Amino acid sequence: MSWYRTMVERDLARWQSAGWVSDAGAAAIRAELAARKSPIGAAGVLAILGAVLFGFAAMSFVAANWNEMSKLARLTLLVGALWACYGVAAWLFARQLAGFANAAVLGGIAVYGASIMLIAQMYHMEGNPPDAVLFWALGALLAAILLRSNAALAATFVLLAVWTGMERGLNVTAHWPFLVAWAATTAAAVWLAWRPGLHLAALCLASWLVPLGYYILDLHAHWVVAAIGVAAAVVAAAGAPVIDRWLRVSQPLLAYAVAVGFAALFTMQFIDDGLIGYRIRLTAGEHGALAGLTLALLVAAMYWAIRTDNRGALWVAYIAFATEIIALYIKMLGTLINTSLFFLSAAVVVTALAWLAYRLHHRQTPATGAAT
Amino acid sequence: MSPSRKTLLTVLAVAAVALAQTAVLAYMVIERIQLLRSGREIVLPVLPYDPRDLFRGEYVFLNYAVTRVPLAAIDGQPIRRNDTLYVTLEKSAEGEWRPVAVSRTLKREDGPDRIVLKGRALWDTALHPTWGVGTVRYGIERYFVRQGEGPKLEALPRERKLAVLVAVGGDGTAAIKGLIIDGKLQYEEPLL
Repeated sequence: MSWYRTMVERDLARWQSAGWVSDAGAAAIRAELAARKSPIGAAGVLAILGAVLFGFAAMSFVAANWNEMSKLARLTLLVGALWACYGVAAWLFARQLAGFANAAVLGGIAVYGASIMLIAQMYHMEGNPPDAVLFWALGALLAAILLRSNAALAATFVLLAVWTGMERGLNVTAHWPFLVAWAATTAAAVWLAWRPGLHLAALCLASWLVPLGYYILDLHAHWVVAAIGVAAAVVAAAGAPVIDRWLRVSQPLLAYAVAVGFAALFTMQFIDDGLIGYRIRLTAGEHGALAGLTLALLVAAMYWAIRTDNRGALWVAYIAFATEIIALYIKMLGTLINTSLFFLSAAVVVTALAWLAYRLHHRQTPATGAAT
Repeated sequence: MSPSRKTLLTVLAVAAVALAQTAVLAYMVIERIQLLRSGREIVLPVLPYDPRDLFRGEYVFLNYAVTRVPLAAIDGQPIRRNDTLYVTLEKSAEGEWRPVAVSRTLKREDGPDRIVLKGRALWDTALHPTWGVGTVRYGIERYFVRQGEGPKLEALPRERKLAVLVAVGGDGTAAIKGLIIDGKLQYEEPLL
């Protein structure tokens, strides 16, 4: 029994004895819970693990004999393995074993990517290495769309992140084409109505967005990323009703926006602050102002998260707040008077926060009480 | 939709994915075979190299004289890393290919003593404006070898004359066709 079912079962017994839920109602709830399938069954997980192990076995066998094979034999082997994976997938789909079929699709995508790399090696091709990853990602996206495969979609997001990382490493460019590929893959995630896919979309975009400051304008333009994060957070907070009417994402969107904005502000203060850059050195006053702004924005995010019952955003803001405080402490460590001043101000801020949370909680509790 | 019809559609979708991915792989192979078969052949000598760097893992790193391009030969705008460049090579009286011009667009060079190679810039003139020489990669710098053969090839450029037989396509793409040791073609690449 799942953790959620155990919880509901316990509450149900209490509600039933209090007379809030009728016997028929309780039976209906139990029936609905029993009919619900666990999203990731143990069998599916084991099937995917099995596919991975098969892959490793096949790879080491091929690697042992690769040198002795002719090019034609190698090509036949690669294409044969590709079709075998998709053949098994089709057979499993036809037998309604979607979980296992998806594992086979993932195997097919892995063979496809390995084939691109091995063919490039066989013919001493070099070209632009990220292109190979892009072709791999597009193959995975095609599988995700045509086969409605969530696993293939997840692979696409991972490959897109690798692709853009390679392009940036080679070209020192912001790599805008990534946005086109990302948008197409995210559209596929929306179309598949797969919520974890939307989280992957957010993570994939964040992995592109956070280092963006290193690649645009004067190559230290983290303020742009910070501004994007703050703007996205404001949109997610203020536009929540409009966004949620279209797609229920405003709450996680706020959490990701806070994370991206904070990452950029953190980079400005502690990473790209003159230690490794050549040009930027923040004065104590500038750093103080930036730290104050960061903490104020995080407090605002916490306030909003508590008001709208957004747990994800609240946790992100908490962790960001703690990270900022610890980083400030480490940087300021030196003079005793600074340290004591620092702890005093941190204590004032945290106490104020506690007071704020307490007030908010009190204002909300009677309201929710009246609603039930 | 009847179950059998749905099954048929699923099988067709899977086949479409497998076909599309196979088509990409086939395109890679066919394009390369065409280039190797019909591309114009030139021979580029391999420069002696720091032996520690020559052999890495399972491939040999090949360094050519044409890898280094005089900066004065580049026209116009600053060059960013990984920009596509077309390098015109000219055959000297001694029969050696030398870079004489660099351009951003493909120029037709039909003479027997001139040929254009497509490459990518390895440096950034905006970041390193004072360098006198730029480096270009043509995609023929890595030669994958069988396990254990690396050290043997590694010693070659120091002891004997090593050159690479290169096939050049109409668009300037270069491909390794074989290795030439002391003037004799060895390690010729089979097409399939």
